[in-house]
Amino acid sequence: MLETVMQAVINGLLIGGIYALVSIGVTLIFGVVKIVNFAQGEFVMIGMYLSYYLSSQFNIDPVVSVLFSMPILFVVGVLIQHYLIRRVLGLNDLPQIFLTFALSLLIINLSLMFFTANYRTIHTWYSDEAFHFWGVYIPYAKLIAFVLAMILSGILWLFLKTTDLGKAMRAASQNRDVAQLMGINPNRVFAVALGIALALAGAAGSLLMSFYPAYPLVGQVFVLMAFVAVVLGTLGNVLGALVASLLMGIAESLGIQFIGADSGLIVVFILLLATLALKPSGLAGGWRK
Amino acid sequence: MHKLIPSYKIFIGLLLILMVLLPFVITSSFALEILVRILLFAFIGTSWNLLGGYAKQLSLGHVAFFGLGAYTSTLMEINYGISPWIGMLVGGLVGMSASLPIGWLCFRLKGPYFTISTIATANVLMLIFLKFRDFAWGAEGTTIPNLGHAPLMMQFETKTPYYFIVLGLLIVSLAITAWIERSRIGYYLIALGEDEDAAEASGVDVVKVKRNIYMLSAFLTALAGTFYTQYIYFIDPQTAFSFNVSIEAALVSIVGGIGTLWGPVIGTVLLETSTALLQSYLGNSIGGIQLTVYSLILMAVILIRPTGIVGYFKEIKAKV
Repeated sequence: MLETVMQAVINGLLIGGIYALVSIGVTLIFGVVKIVNFAQGEFVMIGMYLSYYLSSQFNIDPVVSVLFSMPILFVVGVLIQHYLIRRVLGLNDLPQIFLTFALSLLIINLSLMFFTANYRTIHTWYSDEAFHFWGVYIPYAKLIAFVLAMILSGILWLFLKTTDLGKAMRAASQNRDVAQLMGINPNRVFAVALGIALALAGAAGSLLMSFYPAYPLVGQVFVLMAFVAVVLGTLGNVLGALVASLLMGIAESLGIQFIGADSGLIVVFILLLATLALKPSGLAGGWRK
Repeated sequence: MHKLIPSYKIFIGLLLILMVLLPFVITSSFALEILVRILLFAFIGTSWNLLGGYAKQLSLGHVAFFGLGAYTSTLMEINYGISPWIGMLVGGLVGMSASLPIGWLCFRLKGPYFTISTIATANVLMLIFLKFRDFAWGAEGTTIPNLGHAPLMMQFETKTPYYFIVLGLLIVSLAITAWIERSRIGYYLIALGEDEDAAEASGVDVVKVKRNIYMLSAFLTALAGTFYTQYIYFIDPQTAFSFNVSIEAALVSIVGGIGTLWGPVIGTVLLETSTALLQSYLGNSIGGIQLTVYSLILMAVILIRPTGIVGYFKEIKAKV
């Protein structure tokens, strides 16, 4: 019994690392640009397809392909900020919500047209390898993905804490007007925030590819997780999103283990609705006050 | 404006006569099918518009009520032999009651997170109907027993009666919207849609107004669910709670003109005809092409003129 629970917790924690990369991106964009990016999951999907083609055409390992997917999606993020999101900033909710929502619909349906709905998988030499640790089964592919996800989150945290650009970003997220008075160029900060968030989504996609199938709707699962994690972890809070994502991964995995295979999402939605009912300000919101 | 009113009335009268005569002129059942689809989504869009357009509560979970309406009437018909006409009204009441707890939860959040929470509640309902096989057939769904020509059971052998049912629903929803637009409630809705805090400060009971308009919007959307199930003779969680219904309800209103009486109708005509033309041009349907077109139109509207087509014409009129 204890081993089953441990196994479920470890499984959840490992996938939670991937959720964290997506959630941190969502919360970063929300914190800095004050926009909810409904298309964040679709950039995970693009990262997956990038890694899939790099692997099947050029035999590049999906983990190595992070080196391609991150810079490519960074540039995509900067372009999206410059050509799309910048034009709806300062407007009301409607354009802000439905612009990224339309982007999400567009990317999903274009990939349905070009990639078809078929599942694509990659088989690497470590895809089926695993080791046992205190009676718990740990697959290498998921462990590598988790460790790299944590390293990337750590680098982002250091970037926000120590560099000038990172500080500017945090300043812009706390008070945009004052930040602007202090000489911070909001457009540059917003573009970098979008770039980083999409690069993280791309990394999540590449890291997933060694053990998760790619298909046009794959992003929906991750973005829903991210939305819940971002609410749970208090909107705009990077560390909160990280912790909440890991917890959600565990909750989902326990749900699958003890309620049934397709109940993972139910658990997640119930978590979201329970959070809304009991503590809409998020967990960290309570600690601060 | 006052001088325009008589000609506006004449225009409405002519439009009504045209709509009543249309099914007798058009004999192609393909064309009639498209017309029913246009009227259905114009109706759902108009119902969505009450909450999303006037009160600016941008729900993407309206299919929750559509599905509840569909399941209520179907369960009543198959288990107890009760006519879907009654089932439709009961379904509307079920949808209306469901809007209370859903609204209680979702209205705690504002802006994009309200939208996300409505998506989540609609998904929870779909998962519930998928999971519980004992009371509602689970994932397989069920077909509605075909009784041939049975008007009392909302079943007909031709498409024309369905056309008139959904035309009637649309007229009712437009009449309600027109009435609300001119009433005190309409001003409350617009005030809270513009700025919730300011509306509250000037004495509008924001919580009550939002709750009431959500109930009305949910009631009407649930009626559409019953109609659609009777029309296609089939129900399962994936169609009854399809995210696409929520998307289209919002899209037709936004494209046509959010918070305007005719916006959803104009938006549906544009979106549905573009789909129909595209499909007849391409011959067979390519997966994803319909929503690709929709999302491009939506993006264009948002970036060029977020007030939609009706908003655009209002601006032109104001200039003249």
